Amino acid sequence: MTGLRVLAEARWPEPGRHDPLPPIPGFTTSSFNPLVAETAERCLRAHHGTAPAPGRTALLLASAGGDRATARAIDEAAASGQRVPPLLFFQSNPNAVLGHIAARWGLTGPVVAISPADAVPGRVPQDALDLAALLLADGDADQVLVIAAEQADGTDRAAAVLVTAG
Amino acid sequence: MTGHAPPAVRPVVTGVGVLSAAGTGLDALVDAAAHGKTAFTTVTRFDVSARRTTRAALLAEPVPLAGAVLTAVDQACRQAGLPTTGDTGGEDGDRRATDRGHRPTTAPDGTPVLLALHSDLNTRAVTAAVAAGAAAAWDIAGVTRVYTGACVAAGTAVADAAALVASGRHHRVLVAAGHLVEPGVFAAFDAGRALARDGELRPFSAGRTGTLLGDAAAAVIVEAEPQAERRGAPVLARLAGWGRAGDAHHVCRPEPTGDGVARAVVAALARGGVAPAEVGYVNANGTGSPLADRAEASALHRVFGAHTGRLPVSSSKAVHGHALEASALLELAVTIGALRDGRLPVNAGWLGPDPDVGLDLVLDGPRTGRPRYALTLNSAFGGANTALLVAAR
Repeated sequence: MTGLRVLAEARWPEPGRHDPLPPIPGFTTSSFNPLVAETAERCLRAHHGTAPAPGRTALLLASAGGDRATARAIDEAAASGQRVPPLLFFQSNPNAVLGHIAARWGLTGPVVAISPADAVPGRVPQDALDLAALLLADGDADQVLVIAAEQADGTDRAAAVLVTAG
Repeated sequence: MTGHAPPAVRPVVTGVGVLSAAGTGLDALVDAAAHGKTAFTTVTRFDVSARRTTRAALLAEPVPLAGAVLTAVDQACRQAGLPTTGDTGGEDGDRRATDRGHRPTTAPDGTPVLLALHSDLNTRAVTAAVAAGAAAAWDIAGVTRVYTGACVAAGTAVADAAALVASGRHHRVLVAAGHLVEPGVFAAFDAGRALARDGELRPFSAGRTGTLLGDAAAAVIVEAEPQAERRGAPVLARLAGWGRAGDAHHVCRPEPTGDGVARAVVAALARGGVAPAEVGYVNANGTGSPLADRAEASALHRVFGAHTGRLPVSSSKAVHGHALEASALLELAVTIGALRDGRLPVNAGWLGPDPDVGLDLVLDGPRTGRPRYALTLNSAFGGANTALLVAAR
């Protein structure tokens, strides 16, 4: 992690714990957004304690697969001629859950989502760390919260790391 | 401390490629924008009979998404004078996805490829097809990074490309993006009541009711000015500044005062060392959304103060539709074309003034103007905002 200093880390699930993901009001159907939000929450809490976070923090979501459950639900509804549940419109966009986190913690830095090529569930990919370093060096953020989340059948995994220039 | 000093190496644009509902190439798009010639039509490529809105801006002939992106890449690379392998593939791109696929890599000359696409079940396959086509035609070894951040995806990619060049990390970066209107996204936007009920996209206008989707693929070559000059490449415009900022406000609603947009613009101006009064045109995000257009207008008033009354503003989405992940790259292309031609895009669809907007909208065309600097702005769900400051050559 050249050029980066780690301020806090979090992961889901935590070893030895099997508690359910807390739901987010307004998000349905898929575990992806609760997975992202809870992992981000734990990482921010580990460093800041309580909201808001000071300074300009960027949010960077890295997910190779994205929110597959929401994408599938939209495609199936559209293909069958059914009306798409309105809430899926908002949450089909990877920025939406980042907006939830940003509003709760007062994060005013860039809001970015990427689909990395090489993603190991539960680990933050190098592509995301490279981009975090670029955002910090370029001066639009003082800290970057990187969240890597992958949704697979029954094995959702996420990792988050809060970094600053090292 | 904002860290927004002007860059040591100036990034310039040496190639632009576009495929839009206005036609193939930048000239067709810029001409349609200058005359306010809208491209919306009834969607027939899939069933929209159950939707509240049935219109979008569509390519004349349907092509696979990767093929559309590769066509734009081909235009941009040729204009920039980059060497080709002779196999430009084009619309066969989707059929040529190979196991070379999407690996984080760069071209043999170290040129990163930043690609903006919608996040869905096809993202990886389209990326693989673009990588395969680009490798065959331009000896580009793959796609370096895929941006999926909705309506600022391409704007973020361009800002990152500029940062990579300005910091000296790379001499050249290829940015590409694509979005084609398809049933799932159309149905989702319809369900979210985001589409214009009257079938017209009317940015900043009284009576606006929402946005309309549009097909587009676009590509730009961002290059270090000294290298472009050394190899005699055409310099179409300079990326004088860029900014990215978040609203910290809501899942999907914009911050009403436009605070995040304003901070992105201020960052772009600071990087360019440009005063607000030097900006002579703004290609606004202007989706036709009642709330978002008002917030963006508020941001412009905050940044530009009294200059706002003399600052021509338009949203070219009124002509080419909202191309989502590709929109920022498409609108950068429009802005570069407007600076080149001295004709400002028309804010089509206007019915009358919204007292909460108060902008100098470009309502009739062609409207001539020779601004030295122009801004192109984009915003997305999650409170994401990007601003790109373009300098004329």
